[in-house]
Amino acid sequence: MKIRLILLAYFFLSQTLAFGQTLISGKVLDEKGNPLPGVNVFIKGSFDGTSSDTSGAFEFETTETGDQLLAFSMMGFKTQEIYVALSAPKLEIEALKLVEEYNEMNTVTISAGAMEASDEKKSVILRPLDIVTTPSAMGDIVGAFQTLPGTSTVGNDGRLFVRGGDASEVGIYIDGMRVGNAYGTTAGNVPTRTRFNPNLFKGTFFSTGGYSAEFGQALSSALALNTKDLAIRSQGDLSLMSVGGGYAHTLANDKRSISISGNIFDLTPYQALVKQNFDWERSPYGLDLEVAAQHKLNKGGLLKVLARTETGGMKLWQPQPGMDGKGILVDLTNNYTYAQTNWRKTYENGWTLFSGVSFSHNKDFISYDDLDVERKNNLTHVKFSTIKDFSDRFSAKTGVEYFIHDYSEKLVEEDLDRSFEENEAYLFTEWDWYLTKKFVLRGGLRAGHSKLVVDQWLDPRASLAYKISEFGTLSLAAGRFHQLPVDNFRVLDVTLKNSESKHLILNYLFQNDGRTFRAETFYKSYDQLVKFEGYPQNPQNLRNEGSGFAKGFDVFFRDQKTFKNTDYWVTYSFVDSERSYNQFETNVQPDFAPTHNFSVVVKHFIVKLKSQLGASYSFNDGYTYTDPNFSGEMNSKTSAYQNLSISWSYLPKPNLIIHAAVTNVLGTENIFGYSFARNPNEQGQFESLPIGQTAPRFLFVGVFLTLSKDKNANQLNNL
Amino acid sequence: MKKSLFTFVLSLMWITLAFAADPAYENAMKKQIAAMSTIQSADESQSVANGFLRIAEAKSEEWLPLYYAAYIQSTAAFRFEVNKDQFFDQALELVNKADKIAPNNSEITALKGYIIMGKLSVDPMNRGQEMSPLALQTFGKAIALDKENPRATTLMAQMELGMSQFFGSGPEKACGLARVGLELYAKEETKITDGYLLPAWGKNLAEQVANSCK
Repeated sequence: MKIRLILLAYFFLSQTLAFGQTLISGKVLDEKGNPLPGVNVFIKGSFDGTSSDTSGAFEFETTETGDQLLAFSMMGFKTQEIYVALSAPKLEIEALKLVEEYNEMNTVTISAGAMEASDEKKSVILRPLDIVTTPSAMGDIVGAFQTLPGTSTVGNDGRLFVRGGDASEVGIYIDGMRVGNAYGTTAGNVPTRTRFNPNLFKGTFFSTGGYSAEFGQALSSALALNTKDLAIRSQGDLSLMSVGGGYAHTLANDKRSISISGNIFDLTPYQALVKQNFDWERSPYGLDLEVAAQHKLNKGGLLKVLARTETGGMKLWQPQPGMDGKGILVDLTNNYTYAQTNWRKTYENGWTLFSGVSFSHNKDFISYDDLDVERKNNLTHVKFSTIKDFSDRFSAKTGVEYFIHDYSEKLVEEDLDRSFEENEAYLFTEWDWYLTKKFVLRGGLRAGHSKLVVDQWLDPRASLAYKISEFGTLSLAAGRFHQLPVDNFRVLDVTLKNSESKHLILNYLFQNDGRTFRAETFYKSYDQLVKFEGYPQNPQNLRNEGSGFAKGFDVFFRDQKTFKNTDYWVTYSFVDSERSYNQFETNVQPDFAPTHNFSVVVKHFIVKLKSQLGASYSFNDGYTYTDPNFSGEMNSKTSAYQNLSISWSYLPKPNLIIHAAVTNVLGTENIFGYSFARNPNEQGQFESLPIGQTAPRFLFVGVFLTLSKDKNANQLNNL
Repeated sequence: MKKSLFTFVLSLMWITLAFAADPAYENAMKKQIAAMSTIQSADESQSVANGFLRIAEAKSEEWLPLYYAAYIQSTAAFRFEVNKDQFFDQALELVNKADKIAPNNSEITALKGYIIMGKLSVDPMNRGQEMSPLALQTFGKAIALDKENPRATTLMAQMELGMSQFFGSGPEKACGLARVGLELYAKEETKITDGYLLPAWGKNLAEQVANSCK
């Protein structure tokens, strides 16, 4: 009896299963009400489902019964689930709208003042590889950025000058941590370069103004360099160059990698072969050792360590105007160390945490004629920041920073010294709000405190971007920026306060399939700039009384599409800048801010020759200087500057690169200014000497070989 | 005693049940695998991929449906006029999910390399330097995980062929690999029965590489 009942029940149940099919139909739309094809519609927990067709409609049969969850999913859209009761043979679902997820690919990016070089992100201007292959750059990061809008080339300095600002107004960061003395120490009018090798970085973010509240103490610009993540294989890299050589060894597995490199450079053999304009007693030389390590922690954390130490120097005669003979002997040695570690982790719940510590140490010994100077600078930076994504439309970044900075100068023979020790604390917060995919607002605040100056300040920053067409974006950025005066002024008067700058930037960016057009116009004000009496070498009565402005526009066009295997970019920047600063009593155009700046970079790959040929040309209309034989300040201008550089990279094998480059092929005699005698000669004239290039041209040849002991590489060779 | 024996038998049965194939799953997979070979357009590709994703959703412990969804997504990027980067990124997301379910699986690793190769092909000028060693390394890892995996060897052959064409060196390495790949495919074919769900694609790639060696 019992068994019969069970059988009956079983029979009855299976009948229900067989006959209880439901035909579900409906329609899926996007937010605008347009049909959305390809949406996966299914009963959760079952295999029953279908995809919506081109009209957004769907229809499928299911054998499931009762209350079920009907899911609508498609990549890039938020999955929606609705409860359905499956009892009737037919069920029609009301038209359902799927909401697109906001992600980096489909939302607008703020591009005012920003130029990015990266492989990962969109709206990039340069790729990391472009930096290494720009002919005039000679492998220097900053050299490549000098071909971008908003910058000007100052050939006897080599550092980055942005929109009428001097080189100290650019803050340089590695993984968000400040780098002290990022450029090599050099003698006057001998151009320097960045200490760090471009191969260390996976991406760079270069701002020509209006930058994020995360950065400060830079009136003009922030240059943020991001180091590479885990190395993908163990390898050795050998380089042999006309100026030196080096070796780097990388060990890597899935969890961690470490790379150790040592380089040596010495211009002695090169300068013995190629005639120089300068009178070198000891050609520039240097030795460096670098360690970079990455460690993937459990659950997605990443720990990085970077350390570098180097030593170098040079010795040369600097001729003096109005003096016979070789001039003054300048002997310089430099020791430098930079070390930093940082940790970053993104959690599932929308939090990203970052913490980092960095330390920069710089020590210079300079003997200038019979004066021996020792200069020391230490900078420690501690930072902790968090990003919280409240939703895909709203996120906030908040952080605290602390800087310990001590600086000293010493006259060795006289045993006189002066120094200062500074402690600065900062608090910053920045909020991103996507009103729509096409419209984003960003607001930020940065608060700072200096223990030495006993001063605090608040910098508001704001920007917005609006996508005006499929490929075009309009952005606006504004903000206030503070920066304490340079160390050699502060050490004379520790009460010197911040200089201040305000930026307003309007940007248009068009990017489509291998072509980029960028136009930007800006206004920048300067206040509380340092002024003094006397000469820059011996300033007196320093005070925050200077002011000024810079305004202008720049255009940039890059095309990788029109000509096969050819990539070129053209830049023009117009800067109208005047300021009263340093010893100047009136408003003058600074010597580092030429009005018209133009550059072109062309790279062409010839498959047959396995070679990339490159050329870059830069031009500006000359540098201002004061000629004391006439009245007024900055009353003269040098003739126009121009430089044509060419390069040739040859890749005979995947692991071998031969690179050759020549700067200033045409041998243009560029003059960056004149130095004048302090006193007039017997005829009542101030005698002068032009400040020129170290040599008419610079030639570089290098061979770069990668040795990889990859297991599978060996395996392949055995086949 | 009797009771414990009964428990033992029962637990044994339960284990067998747990390990026994799920016919509904197998049928659903077979249906989608059959549909896979008929794909002619991006729309059809999406609907087959969705089919696998539905199975993946219902059977969250299986790596194969995610693997196939990723594979279809990447072949669609190669074959059809779609936003290639977006498709490869989605494929990568799916293959990474599969990798979490079945870590150190040669097939999943080989597919990952295939997707990296696809991303490389979108912009070889700019991505070559970083991505070609990454692709080679991934294929190398896939081979190391299973020397019998014909796809790992064949994709490595294809990558090597591309490199040798770019650098103008001889295709010997690629040809040798393609020959090994073809042998492995022959071996694999003997295993394929009606209910075979594991990946079996890619023989034509091995043939293409081998043909270019003649």
